[in-house]
Amino acid sequence: MNRNIPSISKLNNLFLDKELKPSELFEQVYENASFTESILHAHLELFYDEGIENSKKSDERFLKGESLGKLDGIPIAIKDNINVYGYKTTCSSKMLSNYVSPYDATVIGMLKETGSTFTGKTNLDEFAMGSSTENSAYGPTKNPWNPDYVPGGSSGGSAAVVSAGSAVASLGSDTGGSIRQPASFCGVVGFKPTYGTVSRFGLIAFASSLDQIGPITNTVDDARIIFDNIQGYDPKDATSIKPEYTEPKNKKLKIGIIKELMQEGVSEDSQNEVNKVTQLLENSGHEVVETSLPLTEMALSVYYLIAPAECSANLSRFDGVRFGLREPASGSYEMMNKTRAVGFGEEVKKRILLGTYALSAGYFDEYYGRALKVRSKIISDFQKAFDDFDFLISPTTPSPAFKFGEKTENPLEMYLSDLCTIPANLAGLPAISIPTGLSNNNMPLSIQLMGKPCSDYSLLDLAESIEDMVSFNHLPKMTKGDI
Amino acid sequence: MNLKPTIGMETHVELDTESKMFCSCKVVETDEPNISLCPTCLGLPGALPVPNKKAIEYIVMLSLGANCSITKEGMFHRKNYFYPDLPKNYQISQFDFPVGVEGSLEIVIEDSLHTVAIERVHMEEDTGKSIHLGSGRIDSATSTLLDFNRSGVPLVEVVTKPIISSAKMAVAYIEELRQLVIDLGISKGKLEKGNLRFDANISVAEEGSDELGVKVEIKNMNSLKSLEKAIDYEILRQTKMVQDKESIIQETRHWDENKQVTLSMRTKEGSADYRYFSDPDLPNMVINDEFIEISQNQIKETPEKKRKTLLDTGLSLSDSNYLDKGQRWLYELYLSTVKETGDCKSTFNFLTGELQGQMRKAEISELPQWLNSEKLASLINLFENNEVSFTSAKDILAKLLIEDIDPKSFASDNNLIQSSDNDEIKALVTSIINENQDIVERLENPEDKLVGYLVGQVMKSSKSKVNPGSVKEVLLKELFG
Repeated sequence: MNRNIPSISKLNNLFLDKELKPSELFEQVYENASFTESILHAHLELFYDEGIENSKKSDERFLKGESLGKLDGIPIAIKDNINVYGYKTTCSSKMLSNYVSPYDATVIGMLKETGSTFTGKTNLDEFAMGSSTENSAYGPTKNPWNPDYVPGGSSGGSAAVVSAGSAVASLGSDTGGSIRQPASFCGVVGFKPTYGTVSRFGLIAFASSLDQIGPITNTVDDARIIFDNIQGYDPKDATSIKPEYTEPKNKKLKIGIIKELMQEGVSEDSQNEVNKVTQLLENSGHEVVETSLPLTEMALSVYYLIAPAECSANLSRFDGVRFGLREPASGSYEMMNKTRAVGFGEEVKKRILLGTYALSAGYFDEYYGRALKVRSKIISDFQKAFDDFDFLISPTTPSPAFKFGEKTENPLEMYLSDLCTIPANLAGLPAISIPTGLSNNNMPLSIQLMGKPCSDYSLLDLAESIEDMVSFNHLPKMTKGDI
Repeated sequence: MNLKPTIGMETHVELDTESKMFCSCKVVETDEPNISLCPTCLGLPGALPVPNKKAIEYIVMLSLGANCSITKEGMFHRKNYFYPDLPKNYQISQFDFPVGVEGSLEIVIEDSLHTVAIERVHMEEDTGKSIHLGSGRIDSATSTLLDFNRSGVPLVEVVTKPIISSAKMAVAYIEELRQLVIDLGISKGKLEKGNLRFDANISVAEEGSDELGVKVEIKNMNSLKSLEKAIDYEILRQTKMVQDKESIIQETRHWDENKQVTLSMRTKEGSADYRYFSDPDLPNMVINDEFIEISQNQIKETPEKKRKTLLDTGLSLSDSNYLDKGQRWLYELYLSTVKETGDCKSTFNFLTGELQGQMRKAEISELPQWLNSEKLASLINLFENNEVSFTSAKDILAKLLIEDIDPKSFASDNNLIQSSDNDEIKALVTSIINENQDIVERLENPEDKLVGYLVGQVMKSSKSKVNPGSVKEVLLKELFG
């Protein structure tokens, strides 16, 4: 892959060979950020002082030959719903505009151990609810390929910084596609690992049973390196697992194309990318067959009951009592009411109301209860599919990036942009989006691969071979020079 | 119209674990606010709960102790409601799959045994504490202080079926439950510390009717005394309302300790909808046979077992229940002492009357090391065999509480051994009769009070060294033949 920023492995070699210092890389990335941020608004906060200090410590380690590994000295951006000790975690909400986290998320603690540096916190749709970052209380992020277009969401900031070269890699979170969809819109790699392999401790919850932290990177290998350093059992997260990663039985893989994600509602552009990759896979000896997962058509409806239901409780803690925004009022309840009325944006309120309704007495069985039942059917459908197939393939998004304001008036259409990504969250599957081509208007297009739970590493291997075959080497407009 | 009350009890038991339910913060007993906190029990964004295994073991023990079946695949639910001292604005609790179901507790009211059916035993986390300044209530407070030390402390809620029929029965039930958690070693069981907190659901209905009346929940009863008074008050209030053809509304009422009445706690919204749903942060709670066995093996004692042991010594049910609910050392001391005396009633009376009384008076909370069952049995035998008078026995006990003595040698060394020698008694009696001829002449029958006076005179002249029973016997024989 030929991109403006070398891969993490290459950078590591440059450090080891003393051809580049981590602090020089950090300065370069920071310079890129200073150039792009005024247009893109991808970072909400830059950690220059601590970043340069830490990268100088990396310089020392490389000088002494005591480097901590491949991530030592690598500048990584963090989505602003992941807690970093001593820094603000705003979730792009007014509610948390003044909230400074008193602790590190588990993934942050793990990254700190690797010697990586943080460029700063990135923009998102408020509390990760949205598909365009248009729901950020601090203004939207622009797409580096064309600032008239959205970068996707909710991890729009994290995707844009990698695409624009103002970070080497980033962490995002994915509840219904929030890593993969913006990665696709910004022409970078987005990986959502198996649910439970990466600790959620310190990730501000949107929908706990769906949320998963993962990397957004320039290359599949970069995603593998980051995943490798953040995965593993965490005793602080009761839903975390001790993963036993699986390998496919045969070298010649059997891959299923999900029929329901290759029909009306999915653009020709997007379908063509899948067909192109299918051809390449077949050329290299793999078997690719169309398969039907009829319930995927219900995934969106199920998701928009389960996610709001969980978020309605998860977001109850934002009440002005212990932290964050507090609106003055004459009594406790009035204060909580006012704070929530002022602190939350429209989309967040809409989902809280939707979820509260779905859980209410008299409606529970009809809405939330039924959604849970369909969810478990979707899970068993995927289990069956993986008896036959090693991996599944689909477009990542029904269409490439859209323009600002294009879908804000029509929430249903906005929700549809997560059509292809939601099923993996409902079933807890690992899924990756890799850029494969450009649309007619020169916006990136991607394909998505899904695997069975704990097939993360073999999924990355397949993604890497596709990455090699398609050699996507286009660059966004908003990129400064090479390093 | 004959009305009968029906009562169901909901009791929260604070478990005595080292750490809180879902984080590793220490459970502390202190007035210093907000010293044992972390992101999880403070409900900070991003923090997650991890269940405390010890607490699960304790609730399984309690469920087994209350003869419940254990739900092998249970789960935690979120109970949603807003309150400033509930950090997440939902409480992690259990809904349709509680740990223990369908159990029963045997309780004792005076001298009879009853059974209280238990509906469920479930696990939850405690809230913080609110101190509403200015009024004591959230809606009229000038300000509210919050202490989150208690937030996240493991709580078990024990719910009975609506089958309790009186305030006395409710009190006996709480006493039994309290003793159970103490004997299991899972809670300190101190009511005054709030280790046990109870609410009562009370309704009245016509006797013989299958349907229950409208239920009213009574809160804020902080002692067994207030529990009894509040229930009695509420039964009376409801009975009067039904008799006056007024309709009772389903509501929560507060026991007002000062006014000694229950008062309506007006709630703004109608009935609360807690929107229970399975907590997605916590996997299902699987309690397998092995875990149940481990918990079962932790159970060393229950009040029911203790009561049986006591009954086997020959004690009455109410005496057995008294010792069962008393301090552990007294229970053990009784059992080892009665083994040596073989006399349950006198041992019970001496330990619960004389020993406890003297200890209370002398403000001794712990029995001195030397005061073992052997010495107590020897003392009890001394007066039971009429070798010392009860007064002397009391003196010997007083000495024993401060000094390591042998009761028998102490009695003989101090000339306390009573004489049962009839010749000696006869001589004393004759001399007293002679000295009190005026009284002897006024005696009408052996039941005359003046007989007691004469016995007292004999005792006095012997300096209490003769047995009063023998004195009376000889005296009556001399006087009435």
